[in-house]
Amino acid sequence: MWIWIIVAVVLVLLVLWAIALYNRLVKANVAVDEGFAQIEVQLKRRSDLIPNLVNTVKGYAAHESSTFEAVTAARAVGEHATTVPEVAAADGMLTQALRGLLAVAEAYPDLKASANFLSLQEELSATENKVAFSRQFYNDAVRTLNTAIVTIPTKFFVGMAGVKAREFYEVPDAADRNAPTVTF
Amino acid sequence: MAVSFRAEQSANQRKTWFLLAVMFVAVVAIVWAISSLFGLQIYWIVPLAVGISLIGVWTSYWKSDALVLAMTQAKIINHEDAPQLYNIVEEVCVAAGLPMPRVALVDDPAPNAFATGRDPEHAVIAFTTGILKVMDREQLQGVAAHEMAHVGNRDTLVMAVAATTAGLLAIVADMGARMAFFGGARNNNSNNPIAMVIAIVILILAPIAALLLKASISRKREALADATAVQFTRNPTGLRRALETLAADGTVVHQKSTAVAHVWIESPLDGKSKSMFDTHPPISERIALLRQMEGQSPTSE
Repeated sequence: MWIWIIVAVVLVLLVLWAIALYNRLVKANVAVDEGFAQIEVQLKRRSDLIPNLVNTVKGYAAHESSTFEAVTAARAVGEHATTVPEVAAADGMLTQALRGLLAVAEAYPDLKASANFLSLQEELSATENKVAFSRQFYNDAVRTLNTAIVTIPTKFFVGMAGVKAREFYEVPDAADRNAPTVTF
Repeated sequence: MAVSFRAEQSANQRKTWFLLAVMFVAVVAIVWAISSLFGLQIYWIVPLAVGISLIGVWTSYWKSDALVLAMTQAKIINHEDAPQLYNIVEEVCVAAGLPMPRVALVDDPAPNAFATGRDPEHAVIAFTTGILKVMDREQLQGVAAHEMAHVGNRDTLVMAVAATTAGLLAIVADMGARMAFFGGARNNNSNNPIAMVIAIVILILAPIAALLLKASISRKREALADATAVQFTRNPTGLRRALETLAADGTVVHQKSTAVAHVWIESPLDGKSKSMFDTHPPISERIALLRQMEGQSPTSE
C-alpha cells in the first residue's frame, strides 16, 4: 500500500519536473522571438527618422549628395531584410551611413546649431541606443536558449519542445576596423 | 581583478533571502519569548500584531507610487517635457525588457533620483531637476538603469516585506515589554528563571535587531541594483561617474522624511561615517565596486 503511494508521488514529481523543463525551453524560444521583434521595432523607428534627418541636413549641405544616397540606399536594403543575418547586415550598413551623415553635419556650424537638428540628433542617438540594447537583449535570449539546448537536463526535451539553436545577431561593423581619422 | 555583475547579482540575492529568513527566525523567537513569559493565553497578540502591520505595510506597498509621489511632490512628465530624459528611460527599458514606467520630476536642486511602485506595470521613476543639470547623458543613463533595476528586482516588495517584519517585531516586543512591567508575569510557575531572563533579553534586543536587518537588506538591494544596472547598460562607467558626481555634491534633497529615505539613489539621511543603520552602502564602496567591474583598480589613481 505505502509503496504504491510513494511510487505515485515520485511519478507525479517526475512529470512536474519534466513539464517545468519543457516550459523552460519553450519560454526561452519565445524570448528569442520577442527579442527579434523588438530589434525590428527599433530599426523601423530609426528608419522613420531618416527622411526628416536627411531633409534637415540637405537644407544646409545640399551638395553632399553621395552621403544622402548612401543613407537612402542602406535604408532601402533594411526594408527588404527578413532573416537574422540579412537584418543584421542592413542594420550595420545603415549605422555606417548615418555615421557618415553626422560626420558631414560636423562641417556645418549653422546646421549643428539649429534646434531642429539638435532634437533630431538626440532622437537619433536615443534610437541608436535602443537598437543596440535590443540587440543585446536578443543575443542574451539566444545565449540562454542555446545553452539550455546543449546542457543536461533540458537537453533531453529539445525534440519534444520543438526548439532549435538560434543565430546570434552580429552586426558587421566596418567602423571598428577603420578607426576614425582625425584631421587638423 | 574584474568583478562580474552576474556574480554580484546572485551574491546579493542570496544575502537578501538569508536576511529575510533571519528576520523570520527573530519573529519566531519573540513569540516564543512572550509565550514563555506569559503562558499560552496571550497568543491572540500575535495575529493582532501581524494584522496591524500587514494592513499598514500592504497599503503603503500597494499605493507606493501615489504615496511617494505625493510625499516628494514629484510631477509626472511626458516626452515633450524632457525629451532626453524620457529617451534615456526608454532605452534602459529596451535593455531591461521591462515596460515603460511613468517618469516624474521633483523640483529640487540637489541631484538625486528614485523608483517606486508595486510592480513593473505601476512603476514610477523620478529625477530631481538638480540631477538633470549636473549630469551628462551617460551618467543619467547609469542612474536610470539603477532605478529600473529596483523596478525589475521588485525592491518595493522586498522592502515592504522587510518593513512588515521589522514593524511586527517592534509591536510584539513593545506589547510584551508592557505586560512584563504592568501586568506582571502570570502562569509562569512552570518556567525557570534562566528562560525568563533570555525571554526578556529577546524582547529588548529583537526590535533593534529588526532595524539593523532591515537596513542591511536595504544595503544589499542597493548593491544589487548597481550590479543589475550594469547588466542593463553593460557600461559600469556611466553609473560610476554618476555616483562620483553625487559623492562630490554637498547638497541633499529637502525631504528628510525617513519614510522615503531608502528610495533615493543617494540616501538623504545616512551620515558621513559608516553606520549599521545606513540604508545605502557607502558611496565610495559602490564606486570602488563599479571600478572593478570596469576592470580598473578600486581606487582612482
